[in-house]
Amino acid sequence: MKKKRLLSTMIALMVIISLISGCSGNNAASSNTSDNTAKSGKEKVAIKVWLTPQWKGVVDATESGADYDSFLKAAAEKFKAQYDKYDADIQVEVIAGDQRDQLLNVNLSGGTPPNVFFESVFPMGDYVHRGALEPLTDIIDEDAKSDIAQNYWDAVTFGKDVYFYPFQHNPGTLVYNADMFKAAGLEKFIGGESEIKTWNLDEYQQILDGLKNNLPKDKYSNAYPMALYAVNNQGDTWNLAYLRMFGNKFFDDQGNIVLNDANGVKAATWLKKLYDGGYTNPGAESVSSNDANAMFQNQQLAISFTNPILFNGTKANMESGTSPKFDMRLANIPSESGDPLSFTYVVGASVFKSKDAKKTEVAKDFVKFFSSDPELVKSSKNGIPVRSSVAEQLKSENPLFAAYDANSKYLFNFTGNVPGYSQLREVLYPDLQALYMGAKTPEQFVQDYQTNGNKVIDTNKANSVIFQ
Amino acid sequence: MIVFLAFLVYPILEGMRLSLYQINYDSEKFVGLANYTTLFNDPVFFKAIFNTIIFVVFIVLLTVGFALFVASAVFDKNAKYVSFIRGSYYIPVMVSMVVMSMVWSFLLNPANGLISFIYKDMGLGTINLLGNPKTVLPVVIFVTFATNVGQAIILYIASMIGVSKELFEAAEIDGASRWQVISKILIPSVGPTTTYITIINIIAVLKIFVVIQLLTGGGPNNSSVTLMYYLYNNAFKYNQLGVASAVGVIMFVITLLLSVPQLRSMIKVK
Repeated sequence: MKKKRLLSTMIALMVIISLISGCSGNNAASSNTSDNTAKSGKEKVAIKVWLTPQWKGVVDATESGADYDSFLKAAAEKFKAQYDKYDADIQVEVIAGDQRDQLLNVNLSGGTPPNVFFESVFPMGDYVHRGALEPLTDIIDEDAKSDIAQNYWDAVTFGKDVYFYPFQHNPGTLVYNADMFKAAGLEKFIGGESEIKTWNLDEYQQILDGLKNNLPKDKYSNAYPMALYAVNNQGDTWNLAYLRMFGNKFFDDQGNIVLNDANGVKAATWLKKLYDGGYTNPGAESVSSNDANAMFQNQQLAISFTNPILFNGTKANMESGTSPKFDMRLANIPSESGDPLSFTYVVGASVFKSKDAKKTEVAKDFVKFFSSDPELVKSSKNGIPVRSSVAEQLKSENPLFAAYDANSKYLFNFTGNVPGYSQLREVLYPDLQALYMGAKTPEQFVQDYQTNGNKVIDTNKANSVIFQ
Repeated sequence: MIVFLAFLVYPILEGMRLSLYQINYDSEKFVGLANYTTLFNDPVFFKAIFNTIIFVVFIVLLTVGFALFVASAVFDKNAKYVSFIRGSYYIPVMVSMVVMSMVWSFLLNPANGLISFIYKDMGLGTINLLGNPKTVLPVVIFVTFATNVGQAIILYIASMIGVSKELFEAAEIDGASRWQVISKILIPSVGPTTTYITIINIIAVLKIFVVIQLLTGGGPNNSSVTLMYYLYNNAFKYNQLGVASAVGVIMFVITLLLSVPQLRSMIKVK
């Protein structure tokens, strides 16, 4: 009797699961056919567009009601008005940057990724290697190729195809509080307001010494010379830059990490020495770059990290009175060779693969539209425009454009376009924490990071569609 | 029954199946026990097991011990006073663990947190409780215990109020001390509640995640990584769904092994 009951329960369960699967299959099929027809007579095609917070407003944060999704919403409206293939329904959603991989992985597994994703290219390379993104080579025309410099195309090209349409870029630099420099008697090291100052390593040490020893405690209580953070992968590009300060090239020609050499050890030793010497905020192993940014804005750090979006955001906070006003200027990350260390985050749109060809078509058309529309591309001034035409047009508005341009010859490709870069980021900070805590010597740190990192790269190479 | 099978048993079986596959977002490849081999070759996995066991042992012991202490101290007092105690300890349970973690993060931040500031202001230098492998586990244990203990206190007080008054009267006539009443009458009488609290806390602590994610990120140097956090990293950061499923299966087995004896003893008592 019991056996019979169990058997009938199992059969019922299987029928229900089959029905559920069948229903979901039907739903998928119906959505795939996209056979809705709008009043306009055009077929309705709905796409999802995601972005991480980039800048507020369509062009500028001072616009009324400016928010992170303003630009793409305005672009969607403009696109719909002129688009004649379909009646495009574009849903724009802002997601938190630190939840990007989690949300994308969950949605990819569930078969519901966004159609378009607007983001810094560097953490998105993994999705190319995993075969989740559509190549965009066919929507890049000659005008775009000639207007956007080759180094940006290099950053978005994997194998033989372009996977991201470059929109703007955000060069990473240091930022310093010139008022604190003056208070510590370091006037001679202060650069111009529209300059990205380059110090050599000796000068940088003098600055740190000056800030540590001569900063008036009554005015800047609880302040430290320089930011150092390693609680998670936030702002890790600066940490990667510090590891290259003594000339280590980081990746070899096969895309493997080669940090374990004399220069790598020197860099790790330098970081540890600064930390132990009290030149940085305490507790780097438990401090995030967000914490460091907040400390800089509260004048608790004299030198921190920034990019144009963070820099403009801090300026906006000062103007709105949400953070104290002070004289804030830019500097390069110094190196032993004397040449600055320069890197940039190329920001652009990618299109996730969809089983619905029409969605992919609309997504690609939308990306091409907002990445090349003469008015919309002016929003790239919120970072640094990748289009020479826009930079030329707006250079009087932002004198730093020229300074960033001068830095571009020092750019290094911090990701090496290696597969598994997101996972590689996760490997770095536990080892950095161990270094700062003293659980690993600089020699052990570079060796372990190289071993662990190369294991990640090897695993991901085996699964990469680009390497197969 | 069908709903139970579809939504509880099927996911468990599916998790077991996935643990034998290498999963890309659009394809699956059978790899046998390779995901388990990967796990057992990863020292961080063993650290996660060790830390999880430490959390389970200390948080459950602290919760049961402290809840017994508070409940036995107040259960026979004035009803208003008992309500006040219950309410006071239950408030943190109602507050989201996310909020609690953020508050603690603000207090403990080594660079600009309140505790660090006061410590430095007193001339004691800098303190980094979350950045020290020796202190990070006790801090996480305390935060989790402080947030969850209210639930156990409520259950114990309810259970103790239900203990027969005749037993207490008899003890009073025999001249038993308060400690004798608690140890000989009260604690044995609330045995099933202790078992229940122990089981639900073991299961809850095995899944400890939010406080780790928000307070320590598993650090420093993986010192506070737990099985659930390790699973999360593999599933959602590294996209190693097969490995994550294997962790899930191992966690399921551990939970089962820990819970079954407790459940059996509870059933026996009934």
